[in-house]
Amino acid sequence: MKAKEFNIKWGMVIDLDKCTGCGACMTACQVENNIAPMVDASNKLRTLSWMLVYELSNKKAAPDAEIAYLPRPCMQCGNPTCVPVCPVIATDKNEEGGIVSQIYPRCIGCRYCMAACPYHARYFNWEDPIFPKGMEKTLSPNTSVRPRGVVEKCNFCHTRLMKAKDKARQEGGNPEALADGAYMPACAEVCPTGAISFGDIKNPEHKVHELAKGENAYRLLEKLGLAPQVYYVSKREWVRKLGDNYAATGKAGAEKKHS
Amino acid sequence: MGLDRRGFVKIVMGGVAGTLFTPVIWQSLDDVSIWSQNWGWIPRLNKGEVKAKSALSKLCPAGCAVKVKTVGGLPFAAIGNTANPMSKGGVCPICTGGAQLMYSPARVKSPMKKVGEGKYEAIKWEEAEAMLVEKLTPLKGQDGKIAAISGDETGTANEVLSAMLAGLGSTGFYVMPGEMFTATKGVKLMGGNGQPGFDIEGSDLVLMIGADALDSWGTTVANQKAFAATRPTGGAATAQYIYAGPVLNNTASVCDKWVAVPPTAMATFALALANQLIAAGAVSSAADFGDYKALVAKYTPEAFEAATGLKADVLKDLVAKIKAAKAPLIVAGASFGQGAGALDFVAAASLNVLLGRVGQKGGMTLLGAAPKAIASAADRENAKDAGSFLASVATGKATPGALLIYEANPAFALPQAAEMAKAMGNIGFKVSFSTYMDETAALADLILPAPHPYERFDDAMNPYGVSKPTYLAGKPVVSKPVADCKDPVDVLLAAAAKLGLSLGFDTYADVIKAKATALGGDFDALAAGGIWNGEAKGGALTLGAGALAKAVPVKTDEKAVALAPVTRLAYGTASLATPPANLVTLRDTELVGKDLFVQMNGATAKKLGVAKGNKVKLTSGSGEIKARVHVSEGVAANTVAVLLGFGRSAWDEFTKGKGENVYKILTVSDEAGTGLKVWAGSTVTVAKV
Repeated sequence: MKAKEFNIKWGMVIDLDKCTGCGACMTACQVENNIAPMVDASNKLRTLSWMLVYELSNKKAAPDAEIAYLPRPCMQCGNPTCVPVCPVIATDKNEEGGIVSQIYPRCIGCRYCMAACPYHARYFNWEDPIFPKGMEKTLSPNTSVRPRGVVEKCNFCHTRLMKAKDKARQEGGNPEALADGAYMPACAEVCPTGAISFGDIKNPEHKVHELAKGENAYRLLEKLGLAPQVYYVSKREWVRKLGDNYAATGKAGAEKKHS
Repeated sequence: MGLDRRGFVKIVMGGVAGTLFTPVIWQSLDDVSIWSQNWGWIPRLNKGEVKAKSALSKLCPAGCAVKVKTVGGLPFAAIGNTANPMSKGGVCPICTGGAQLMYSPARVKSPMKKVGEGKYEAIKWEEAEAMLVEKLTPLKGQDGKIAAISGDETGTANEVLSAMLAGLGSTGFYVMPGEMFTATKGVKLMGGNGQPGFDIEGSDLVLMIGADALDSWGTTVANQKAFAATRPTGGAATAQYIYAGPVLNNTASVCDKWVAVPPTAMATFALALANQLIAAGAVSSAADFGDYKALVAKYTPEAFEAATGLKADVLKDLVAKIKAAKAPLIVAGASFGQGAGALDFVAAASLNVLLGRVGQKGGMTLLGAAPKAIASAADRENAKDAGSFLASVATGKATPGALLIYEANPAFALPQAAEMAKAMGNIGFKVSFSTYMDETAALADLILPAPHPYERFDDAMNPYGVSKPTYLAGKPVVSKPVADCKDPVDVLLAAAAKLGLSLGFDTYADVIKAKATALGGDFDALAAGGIWNGEAKGGALTLGAGALAKAVPVKTDEKAVALAPVTRLAYGTASLATPPANLVTLRDTELVGKDLFVQMNGATAKKLGVAKGNKVKLTSGSGEIKARVHVSEGVAANTVAVLLGFGRSAWDEFTKGKGENVYKILTVSDEAGTGLKVWAGSTVTVAKV
């Protein structure tokens, strides 16, 4: 299956050798996207974490153990498995730089898309968004608050793209050729080690263009052919191997080597 | 003409087809789906102009230089300030959610006085301030009767507090434990003076002994930026980072090497490394080099292996790396930012002296005392620790009549927390200046709400770890606080005036402006997100051999294992419980429901006879906590690791009652040779329940 291609391809390159797992990206994501805090955030079947930092382990015993942290936004796949399964076209991959959209008012909450996504990047609102009294005054103007019963996910802070385009228009620039850094999702903006690079992968003037082609760059579960727009970089071979459970043998269904 | 079957079917089919072609049904379905999500209880977004204002966000211990984004004047997010060299656009996970903390359910909304056990009554500021003056008046002029504990390491508020106490005839100004306190004492033991600094940015080999410099130690964001600058994505690294400590923590996760040293063997590791460096030819011109050499001769590779459970090859490898580096730097610290002795600091910092790295680019520096805004204020290097003070209160040696608690939570965040909280009961009048209803405020007789960082003037002088004198200042982002609060320093200055003491200022804003002027800085430029920097000094430090000779090796009970408390900045600090926006970052291997996890490696679990998921009890001389076992290979031998900062008994529904307070089982002992209180080498026994 051929991936949908557009002139602009917004993508991320995440350097796993620089991610300390501090969690600033997750918090910035919660703030930007108006995700209400949950009283029991340890119930990971209920939390909404559009950006989720996973912990990877080389599975060696102490003192040879190593860990790495892997921030996982939505991969904005070139061939998104979530899009064709949606019965109400509430999600689409379109010309907004290949960002897979999620249209909350159209979503009927059937969760087919969640079942289809191999990256577990989609979340279902099991509860209404309840903010502690007064905290609704800190809602970001960028993302509407979703009610119970709809699926939501990372959209590369799409409102920021629209605002960057508006700004370019106002300043007489070309909204279809934004400068590197003119549009930046919240997670990439706050990351204190700059582990998350963001830009148009097709634009040679954007640094991600080269970074995505680096010798240590890879994508998660590449064998599935979903062509994610999120790339990872690590010099550590064991980290790269964890990017695909089948990489060890090249065969789907092979014994799981890593978790 | 009758309607036959065929005609009926045609009409029905035509009707169905016709319905499908009209937009009515689809439009209605679309509308229904929109209406059914458009409930009144779904919060609406705020409208207005979006701006970004500079602020000093002192929610984290170092303080982040941020830009607070506002919509229609209401803060909603914080990002790093790209123009500020301490931030360079980065922001820590706590300060990222700073706007939400303005409306934390735990926020103290008005002054309150205690009217019964656990019962408070909201009062007016006039009454609260009058009560403060009334209680302090009879204690004026009696040394030791008025005491103050500050949890703010960097603010000029400490000058006001200590000068006020001095003016009222008391020397009872104390600080909460932290690296700054221990390290400053350590520098004295090495014949120097001042606060040590570490030029991480200029180093090409950073060996962090204990210091969790990329997550919870020192100026975290500046450290992370320095680290990141040496690791261009897709390019070659220009510096090596090595972490030696009990836990494969966030810092260690990105380091080139993690050396798994149990918390009881940190000094042994440093001195064994010194031994091997000397064996490889390292020589120092320090006067006590001979004594030092003789001292470290005891710390042989065999002794290292016995103390750490590691192979001595680790040392050889480190020596080779250090010798090959142009600007090696040893960053000394406790793995959870407190509780190590001054001698632990000296053991690690002496490596910088041995390698000739003091005062060099990419080395260790010394920061002299900064000019004060209030001349009668106590010097930072003469600070006294709150733990020893409350221990004296517990035994009746100290009998203060009033205790002022500024931005500190001693009832929760001192070792042997339960005893500390009990000791506070011996003090007749306790005032908590706090933004949030923390465990200490819950014990206070008077709670005076302090503003959130976006609502106040504040400053930060030499946050611990900076390599050169550094000063940041900030002013309010919002025009009006969301709670009925007053700046604690303004309240203290007004109270002092009523007690007949003039400190020369009426407001904290004036004090900060005077501080900026004393340094030769410009307050307006600082409040606009700027920074003031001075020059660091070198200083002829000794190797601290005399002090190290008094160190007694930690003896561990055969049945006990070392306890490694773990700090993660995202989960809060000694004075801040996990913020609501950060809760999602908690892992389900750290806390599930109300159960905290204790982490240990497979070999330790086997030795203790416990397995993944088991409920266990951790017992120390000062108390016990319950936790569930998580087997993780990222923990050193014979060590158990538990997160600090949980087990809150106050705060809000997001944190109250979750997990256990590890401070309760940290056991304090006296450090041989210095008399300082230490608790980094606490041990516990682990038993299944």
